[in-house]
Amino acid sequence: MENLTSEQVKDLADNLLRMTNALGDFRYEHFQHLSEEENMRLKELHSQQLEFTTEVYTRAALLVMTDAKGSLEQINTITKETQRLYKNLNDVQKVLERASAVLTLASAIISLDTKGIANSINGLLM
Amino acid sequence: MPLLFKSYVFLGILVALVSSSCVNLKHIAEFSETSLEGIGQYEQLASSFHQRCEADCEQQSIRNLTIHDVTCNCTPDKKADSITTIIYKSISGYLFGLKTISASKLTRYQTQDLTDALTTGDFGPIKLNTDDVKAYSNISTVILRAFTDGYRRSKIKKYVSEAHEPLTQLVHFLRLNLAGNLNGKLEVQKSLLKNFYFDLVADEKLSVYERTKFAEDYFNSLKDIETKQEELKNFSKALESISEGHQVLYTHINNLTDDEVKTKLGALKNRWNSAMHTYFKTK
Repeated sequence: MENLTSEQVKDLADNLLRMTNALGDFRYEHFQHLSEEENMRLKELHSQQLEFTTEVYTRAALLVMTDAKGSLEQINTITKETQRLYKNLNDVQKVLERASAVLTLASAIISLDTKGIANSINGLLM
Repeated sequence: MPLLFKSYVFLGILVALVSSSCVNLKHIAEFSETSLEGIGQYEQLASSFHQRCEADCEQQSIRNLTIHDVTCNCTPDKKADSITTIIYKSISGYLFGLKTISASKLTRYQTQDLTDALTTGDFGPIKLNTDDVKAYSNISTVILRAFTDGYRRSKIKKYVSEAHEPLTQLVHFLRLNLAGNLNGKLEVQKSLLKNFYFDLVADEKLSVYERTKFAEDYFNSLKDIETKQEELKNFSKALESISEGHQVLYTHINNLTDDEVKTKLGALKNRWNSAMHTYFKTK
């Protein structure tokens, strides 16, 4: 038998809850006709079943990881690609800025402007 | 001079091309931004698996009249929260990536510094005419942008197409965990409350005042849980809109200028706004 999917386990939990609530409703509706002992026994059973049902919901949530693994990997790969594209497109601006800085340095060297050379180098190093 | 005139004509055509490409990507940028706002509400949700586990544990201690040495094993629920958060972060990461690469300012390159360096610099015997430098700088910026916009448009098409299936799956799983499993746990909690309060309210050995107070406590707790369920339901609706919006992008990926796309995304944005309005009202 194949392993159950998160969706199937969630459906099982929903069905369990419906059955469990039917037990609770039986107790509320027949409360007047039940002995104290019967009532307490039904109350305890109902409570235990509910605790079990909530655990099944948690189990279904945990199984989501197994079912979503492939999709998670695919989407994370695409996200990384978008980040790379963003960086590449931003790099064009960086190239333009660097070209300007190199030109300013070249201009300072040609005109023998020592202060300008120092400033340009500092700008390039930043 | 005629060369400069031709350049201006060429520049005009390119400006028109670039402007139209911006409009195409604007839909995607707006969709991603709106979706990011919507999905970001995950961090404000009032309930989590771990919180439910602690609340159940507390309720059990009250039922058993025990306050000493109470231990709750909520490790599986903490793990369920981590899984749900991983899915949320992966969807957000993709939407954020889509938003950044479709933002119109991304390829609006600034060449003013380069133009200034060329026109004011001293390059020895090489003398550059200021007007010529400015004109060619503008043209090169437009060509650069037309090229990069075309490039990123083709990349965006690829990403939207490849991401569609995993994104739809992840949105489905996020809804399954929140509107399905977490909501189921809240439903169980409602039943546990009734199981506990029913006998106290029905107990004729207690005074009418005590029984009334128990009934009041029950209804207040019930209302608190139902508010949380309503919040999850509205968040799930917002997630559904994200999935539908991406479907519109995916279906019309080769014709993103289509007015139909604009209208459909606009309608989804309105639905999302309405879901968020209800969401904030329940808080």
